[in-house]
Amino acid sequence: MNRNLFSSSVKKGLTFGIVMIILVLIDFEVMASILLSKLLGVNVIRGALPQVRFMIIFLVLYGMFVGWVASSNHEKSAKKLFQALVAGLTVAMVVGLFDLVLNQLIITGTDVRAYLAALGPASIKLFLLEKGALGSLLHLGLFTGASLLGSVLKILLKSDPVSHFLKSISTVYRGLRAKAQANTPDWIKKYGKYLLFLLIGLSAFFLPRMWGSYNNYVVGLVGLYVILGIGLNIIVGLSGQLMLGFAAFFAMGAYSVALLNAPLPLGIMLGFWPSLAIGVLMAVLAAVLLGLPVMGMRGDYLAIVTLGFGEIIRILLKSDLLTAFTGGPRGIQDIKGPTLFGQPFSSDIDYTYIILVFMILAIFIFKRLERSRTGRAWMAVREDTKVAEATGVNIKNSKLLALCLGAAFAGLAGGIFAARNQFTGPNDHQLMVSMNILSILIVGGINSVPGIILGAFTLKGLPEILREIENYRLLVFGGLLVFMMISRPEGLWPATRPKIEKDEGNKQKAASPPGKGGQNG
Amino acid sequence: MENENRPPRRYKRSNLSKIVRWVLGIIVLSYILWRLYTVFIVQNEYNPDIWFRLLLSGLVIGGVYSLIAIGYTLVYGILRMINFAHGEVMMIGTFAGYFVFEATNAIKLTSSSGEVTSLSNAQPVLAVLLAFIVGMTVASTAGFLLEKIAYRPLRKAPRLIPLISAIGASIFLQNLAQLLFSPLVRDYKNPALIARGQGWPVTIAGAQVVIPYTGVLTFSMSIILMFALYTMVKKSKLGKSMRAVAADKPTAALMGIDVNAVISQTFIISGLLAGAAGVMWGLHNGLVYYYVGFLPGIKAFTSAVLGGIGNIPGAMLGGMLLGLIESIGPTALGISYQLKDVLAFVILIIILVFRPSGILGEILSEEKV
Repeated sequence: MNRNLFSSSVKKGLTFGIVMIILVLIDFEVMASILLSKLLGVNVIRGALPQVRFMIIFLVLYGMFVGWVASSNHEKSAKKLFQALVAGLTVAMVVGLFDLVLNQLIITGTDVRAYLAALGPASIKLFLLEKGALGSLLHLGLFTGASLLGSVLKILLKSDPVSHFLKSISTVYRGLRAKAQANTPDWIKKYGKYLLFLLIGLSAFFLPRMWGSYNNYVVGLVGLYVILGIGLNIIVGLSGQLMLGFAAFFAMGAYSVALLNAPLPLGIMLGFWPSLAIGVLMAVLAAVLLGLPVMGMRGDYLAIVTLGFGEIIRILLKSDLLTAFTGGPRGIQDIKGPTLFGQPFSSDIDYTYIILVFMILAIFIFKRLERSRTGRAWMAVREDTKVAEATGVNIKNSKLLALCLGAAFAGLAGGIFAARNQFTGPNDHQLMVSMNILSILIVGGINSVPGIILGAFTLKGLPEILREIENYRLLVFGGLLVFMMISRPEGLWPATRPKIEKDEGNKQKAASPPGKGGQNG
Repeated sequence: MENENRPPRRYKRSNLSKIVRWVLGIIVLSYILWRLYTVFIVQNEYNPDIWFRLLLSGLVIGGVYSLIAIGYTLVYGILRMINFAHGEVMMIGTFAGYFVFEATNAIKLTSSSGEVTSLSNAQPVLAVLLAFIVGMTVASTAGFLLEKIAYRPLRKAPRLIPLISAIGASIFLQNLAQLLFSPLVRDYKNPALIARGQGWPVTIAGAQVVIPYTGVLTFSMSIILMFALYTMVKKSKLGKSMRAVAADKPTAALMGIDVNAVISQTFIISGLLAGAAGVMWGLHNGLVYYYVGFLPGIKAFTSAVLGGIGNIPGAMLGGMLLGLIESIGPTALGISYQLKDVLAFVILIIILVFRPSGILGEILSEEKV
């Protein structure tokens, strides 16, 4: 039994040790300590390194995490401590060996940055806590101690606060809402909704004027991605078709507005609003043309076909073939902004207004759709095509409708995006855009509007605010996608199902993805 | 599982989509015929040597695609899942080979006559062999870990969940490589014996064409590996159990086959092939960077679908065909070479729209029920 404990702890320790080495190789530890430093109120100039104590804090946190994870499924505290001790020591030894190598690099003055780009001498010294070979011993103590500390913490707390916290946010919110609904007087029940809307409207009106152009930029970006997320959610979440080329529709909208509204290359100055409408129509047209032939495909084939479609659009936009028409790889510049009642309406504040208005419109449409006959038909198609067909849903038409509506939102967001940047080019419409939107849905929670807003903020807003994590953003997203699929496929803020469905029984349970359902994890 | 073993359902197609399908088909076909007519009969400006050169490069690229496509087909056949990160496994193999050549190039040997040569030039066979061994080992380890971490916990989840996990793994691996090795495009240091661009000169219709050494090496290596794999799947016990698991997992488990182990072995084998393909890609094309696996990955998947997914000879045929189409196609159709990637995607869409089961037909469990 003890031997089993020992070997499993050593395994965990080895894994964490190797992860730590990889983190050092990609310079993640420096980024993390800069973030910690900022979090604790000590600003770090861009390009400079943080103080050593923040590195120590990071390492201690990491060690505590190791101890936390290592001391798992045992009731007895002593066994937990034992596991944490073994895992911490293993991590420390793995990292210690690596430290010696790093120290050798520093001593001999070898620069490995030609191969391992992030492993600069300054960050190595910082990682070794500015102590050289002694740093290795310090790490040994740090990791072991921190691991034990993490274990003690776990014994004291008894439950897992992180997942508990994540789970509780939405339940607490719902509980509060239910409680509030029960206790509020009638007039609030009747008019409270409008009062809330008024409050949101007022803050949406005044806030963009007050918080400066940078915040407007970030909020606008998040808003655009919320619109995109809602569009993709109609396709992926409601009608259940995985779409990987969503950026193609985004490109349709962006290029329509750009081509119809910029001096070069076509010079049709149609104005923003008509061209935005045309952009939405073009996106819908593209969706129909793509959707009609491919609608009957298996889910994963559909995903790849849509991915191919997105790439085709991007490559065509970039190619010499269409350079005369679309500006080629250089894109289209000087896109004219919108006007309202003859006045120019294109400052950053105005764009925030436009985006917020369309975002609220999108949320409203989505909410109405979800409960409508169409929305229920989509969900039926998603859950079981055969049963849906038997109950009289026209599968093809309803799938196609979902695709078109989703594309319309993408076209809308694309048009605003192009006008706001006054530029659009093929690089705005890369595969990564589609992946980002999909990640927003999955991280936030499919079919849940607060989830999409949360996801858009986490994935697009946070990297804008915390510039340090910019480089690591996609790495973290990739890891997060895998992690979410394995441990929390319903997202950070899962959707509540409408009541009608809940009563239907356990059909949904079979359809919703299981948690940690592996035979051997 | 019950869901997946049903025979394929056919829904009545609405008339509109049928019409769109046919209109699309006729447009594509007439466009191809018109372009072929213009290039071959009206213009007719290319000599046989150019076609020969294109054929050569098509065969080489086709060999690489075939090897990667086999990985897709094996995994799809067993798990019914697109291993989206398979291209990244190939990228890892390419990097492993790159580092082997860098290392062997850095080790200097002094011969008896006092000349200083690097190990890779003094012992090119050893260096290439080492690169293949290391590349294949590292890639297959990556494939094994990928399955264990990202796919195994999702064995019983609905089908789109593992696909999203695979996409996540793909993004993760790409960005990890970018952060580790920087976004720089690096040059493969081939041993001097098989330097890129050198080869046997051949005279075709009065013009000289060079058959590159790297091309010959790549092509013969891919044929050998494909043959070995085919024999393994058909003859060995592991191959038999792989086919059994692909056909029916629960029954295979009842027959005493360790399904999880077989799936792991499948990932290891497809990783081996992808690693070899990666080293070949590096040797022949010479460029290695974090994004190197993405397009070959997608195209290899196209090849697997083209040949019929789940079908190993189909993947080989599909890979070769796609390689040839991609290298000859742009010239034969008289379109810009920039659009060769579009060509691959268009073929994918056309195949999936008109014949989703591929050229040789797909071999999946549901057909056997």
